[in-house]
Amino acid sequence: MNPPNPYVIETHGLSKTYKKFKALNSLDLRVQQNSIFGFLGPNGAGKTTTIKLMLGLTHPTAGTASIFGMDSVERSVDIRARIGYLPQEPHFYEYMTARQTLHFTAEFFFKGPKKAIDERVNEMLALVDLEEKADRPIKTFSGGERQRLGIAQAQVNYPDLIILDEPAASLDPLGRRDVLEVMSRLRKYATIFYSTHILDDVQRISDTVVILNKGELVAEGPIEELLAGSEGVIYIIHLKGETEPELKKVQSQPWVSGVKTSQLNEETIWQVSVTDPDAAETHLLKLLVNDPVLVTEFRRKQYELEDVFMQVIEGGQNVRK
Amino acid sequence: MSGNEVFEMVSERGWNRGLNTMLRSGLARWFKTRMWWIQCLIWGSLIGLLLAAIAFNPEPPPSEDLLMLFTVFAGLFPAVGVVIIMQDALVGEKREGTAAWVLSKPLTRPSFVLSKIIANSAGILVTMVVVPCIIAYAIITFSQKASLNPLGFIESMGVIFISHFFFLALTLMLGTFFDSRGPVIGIPLGILFMQQNIIGFIPALGYVLPWNLVVPIGSSTPLVLSLMLKIPIPPGQLITLAAIVIESILFISIGLWRFNREEF
Repeated sequence: MNPPNPYVIETHGLSKTYKKFKALNSLDLRVQQNSIFGFLGPNGAGKTTTIKLMLGLTHPTAGTASIFGMDSVERSVDIRARIGYLPQEPHFYEYMTARQTLHFTAEFFFKGPKKAIDERVNEMLALVDLEEKADRPIKTFSGGERQRLGIAQAQVNYPDLIILDEPAASLDPLGRRDVLEVMSRLRKYATIFYSTHILDDVQRISDTVVILNKGELVAEGPIEELLAGSEGVIYIIHLKGETEPELKKVQSQPWVSGVKTSQLNEETIWQVSVTDPDAAETHLLKLLVNDPVLVTEFRRKQYELEDVFMQVIEGGQNVRK
Repeated sequence: MSGNEVFEMVSERGWNRGLNTMLRSGLARWFKTRMWWIQCLIWGSLIGLLLAAIAFNPEPPPSEDLLMLFTVFAGLFPAVGVVIIMQDALVGEKREGTAAWVLSKPLTRPSFVLSKIIANSAGILVTMVVVPCIIAYAIITFSQKASLNPLGFIESMGVIFISHFFFLALTLMLGTFFDSRGPVIGIPLGILFMQQNIIGFIPALGYVLPWNLVVPIGSSTPLVLSLMLKIPIPPGQLITLAAIVIESILFISIGLWRFNREEF
């Protein structure tokens, strides 16, 4: 017997061309079960195209996408029976109320019992704080309220995979926080695949990140590994006083691969690249404390996702962990 | 995902998955909103008032002329409404993004298209054919102090509906090809209003356009009137009726094929 496939989403050479424009070029992706998978990229990178290909809303020019082991073209309806999807700009039938919209959505999955469906709808309305507006037509809803309704309808069927295209785009900071909390909670039951521009959110809750640029995958890996950076371990040291003799001493250490220096007001800043982080952690500061220089700051460089994002988008680097 | 054990899951498989849900929603759109009575009011009052103004004139026309006017009013005017409603059913949903949203659920594309046809046909039949025709029946009966053959009248309502269905199917098919409203509204309305001229140039086209069903060409009696008056039906009109049914089925088939290839 074959072991169960740990990947919920697998794409192989997935490509999409619109007339002569290559929206997506040979994307290879694997998304593990019960992970929160952040899908990043600037506008026009191909994020929404990828999502639409996975849902069977559009067809690939080349390559395949497999969701739950099923081909996205051949078995798109069966795939969608196990998915909850929030589009980038959610559009619902304007004449329906929020409650009717959730009932309508639930009826694609459940035949009954009516009481259980009613309860699920109420639970979803409470989850996104729309109980008081549940019976108002959607045409009276603000952008944020529509987004919240979109999040509710994406979960009404207890999906195994939730695909969210820019889930926090039109939400205020409190709404954003709530969405992130909901996503973290859902990880126990479902895999979450979401695209966003808000790097801070990704850094906070994602396990794995992929960065797309101009239709191509330019970075992928577990969030900790991406944040570790591609330049190796670097220590940042701020110093005051005569630093030249100490610089030579540091450069001569076998575990130091390079030192970049710069000046900020009266301080000298060193960026010390090391090959052995343990040795650096033990000895680097000790090399400096006995000398007539004043160390005002000493820290290991932490990358922010924004740094990685800018590196791969602007610098054209390819980072795969 | 755990949590759904208490539910009875939808078990439909195959081409019609999601059809029931879409149909319920489409019928609710017609009959559980203001839409049904607004459409009844528009077409009932338009046809009824025009007919009443003529029927209750101090010098009313002969009953046959009154019936002829009724067939023209009921056969042509609501077709404009059919085109406008049907263009919104597909192009409107494609443009507004609701089609992409519902198609992200377990719903097949044929179910989406067929639900639009069935729900709108039901709405159009009730509000644009049955209600205005019942009003017209009452006006004609009262004004002429004579009753029409009810069976013939029901048959004529059926033919009026088939004429409208031709425009419903045509507009739906065009909606699968175009993303802008212009051609989807313009082409059917162009055909609706230019039929007489087209048939004037190429008389053979009279067999494949619905004009002949509701409006007299030359001295001929339109099919709707023949049915109401229970007079013999010329074979040419039955050919037209069959052609309109076949064309409507063809339009729907092409629409289904095209919509399957649509990219969202």
